[in-house]
Amino acid sequence: MDGKAAKDSTTLVERWIEDQREWQKTAMAYLDSMVKNDEFLTHLGNAMRGSLLAGKAYPTAGAATAAPAQDVPADDRLDRVLFALHQMQGQLSDLRMTLDEMRTGAKGSPPRMPATRSAVRKRAPAAKARKTKRKTTGKARR
Amino acid sequence: MSEPDEERELEALLELSRRGRAKLERLHEVLTSPGHYGTGASPSTVVYRENKLRLLRLVDEHGQPRSGPPVLFVPAPVSRYFIVDLLPGRSFAGHVAAAGFDVFVIDFGTPTTEDRFADLSYYVDGLVRRSVRVVSQLTGQAAINVVGYCLGGTLSLLYAALYPETVARLVLLTTMVDGDVEGGIGWVAHKMGLAGESYDHPRLVPAAEVKSWFEMLAPGSNSLVGRVTDLWDRLDDPAARLRDVRTMATWVDDVAPAPGRLLAELYQKFGPGRNGLITGVVQIGDRMVELAAVQMPVLSVSAEKDLIAPPEGVDAITRVVPHAEVLRLPGGHVGIVAGRTAAALWQRTVEFLATSRDGTHGL
Repeated sequence: MDGKAAKDSTTLVERWIEDQREWQKTAMAYLDSMVKNDEFLTHLGNAMRGSLLAGKAYPTAGAATAAPAQDVPADDRLDRVLFALHQMQGQLSDLRMTLDEMRTGAKGSPPRMPATRSAVRKRAPAAKARKTKRKTTGKARR
Repeated sequence: MSEPDEERELEALLELSRRGRAKLERLHEVLTSPGHYGTGASPSTVVYRENKLRLLRLVDEHGQPRSGPPVLFVPAPVSRYFIVDLLPGRSFAGHVAAAGFDVFVIDFGTPTTEDRFADLSYYVDGLVRRSVRVVSQLTGQAAINVVGYCLGGTLSLLYAALYPETVARLVLLTTMVDGDVEGGIGWVAHKMGLAGESYDHPRLVPAAEVKSWFEMLAPGSNSLVGRVTDLWDRLDDPAARLRDVRTMATWVDDVAPAPGRLLAELYQKFGPGRNGLITGVVQIGDRMVELAAVQMPVLSVSAEKDLIAPPEGVDAITRVVPHAEVLRLPGGHVGIVAGRTAAALWQRTVEFLATSRDGTHGL
């Protein structure tokens, strides 16, 4: 080995050593974050699943199993009651909005209509107009 | 092997080590910087709450709502609302607000066990209708603009048919109308057993299961090795770009659990082989919905590379709403709304919303 090659070889070795030090720093940075940042492990776990999802764990079948409602509960009465309460909450909101509109005299969007065909409702003004016209014509004839 | 060859190999290994370490350092930087935790990018106030729903009103830098015509964004209930308000500079809702519109966004929230009983009527004739009503009351406008995305578009279309007098203009983004067009989330869900979902005894379909349907659509995305390889390749990107990717991943990977009754009803009425929307008449709760009632101006946008809502199934809107303007844009289901090329959609939407019925500019 001549002098130039020996120098290059030394350089390469030094760079290897330096690279190893950098790896140690990287590893320490990861360890440091794991200790100091509670969410880092979750994020790292997501990354190990190929996802950069932030703030929560990647949804997996395992996580789903831990979820409280994967299957239909044997007794669903409480949930039915809770959902009925949510529906009532909506109805109360409708009532409040109707009262607000009555108080201010504003014509907001209509409250829930009774069960009719929307197209029938849409045609209603025209039908009413025809009816009025017929009535007027009838009066004129009389 | 000669010494120069050995040195070259060692140099190559050293370079490989350096690049691998650089990727891990970049990943560390991204994972330790503030992420996107599912909140919108634009400042807003909550103007209405019901069950898990929050109705957000975008405000300007002084905390004041805009004075322009109201626009209500209706995202899909099975994903997070912030796809329409992803990042500063990449926010569909923010862009529309910056154009002067008074923008409202529905956040359906995350359903819990009791919400498995929620059906189409609860969403269309309940949550969406009351949200429109709140917007009308706050703005004094009897008819407002509605922008629905994906399943949110389906809800918006049904709402517009039920209460046409309350919708000034309707924009439907990647909203499937023809359920018989093969491909897309409906077909995958069909093959994965959605037919087994019970309307009478529904369950809360876990997020992981909903996600598995979406993953089936993207080859490789349901493979752990494929996903990790994809992420490893991406780690060559600058950290700023990776933060964008992370924001998008936080939306894509964070699907919400879904009310089983809603899914069962969607499948039974609009799914493959049922295809109720294309008939133009659908029963929602105790109401008959006739799509012929949709007479307001309609813009329907499909995406050329949409794997979730195939463009042919979206463009079929003209079979039930013949006057609908159909626009097909290059890109995918998410890309056209929040990707790098989304500006085309945003601009066209603003132009459409700003045009009054007589064709003049309304803003």
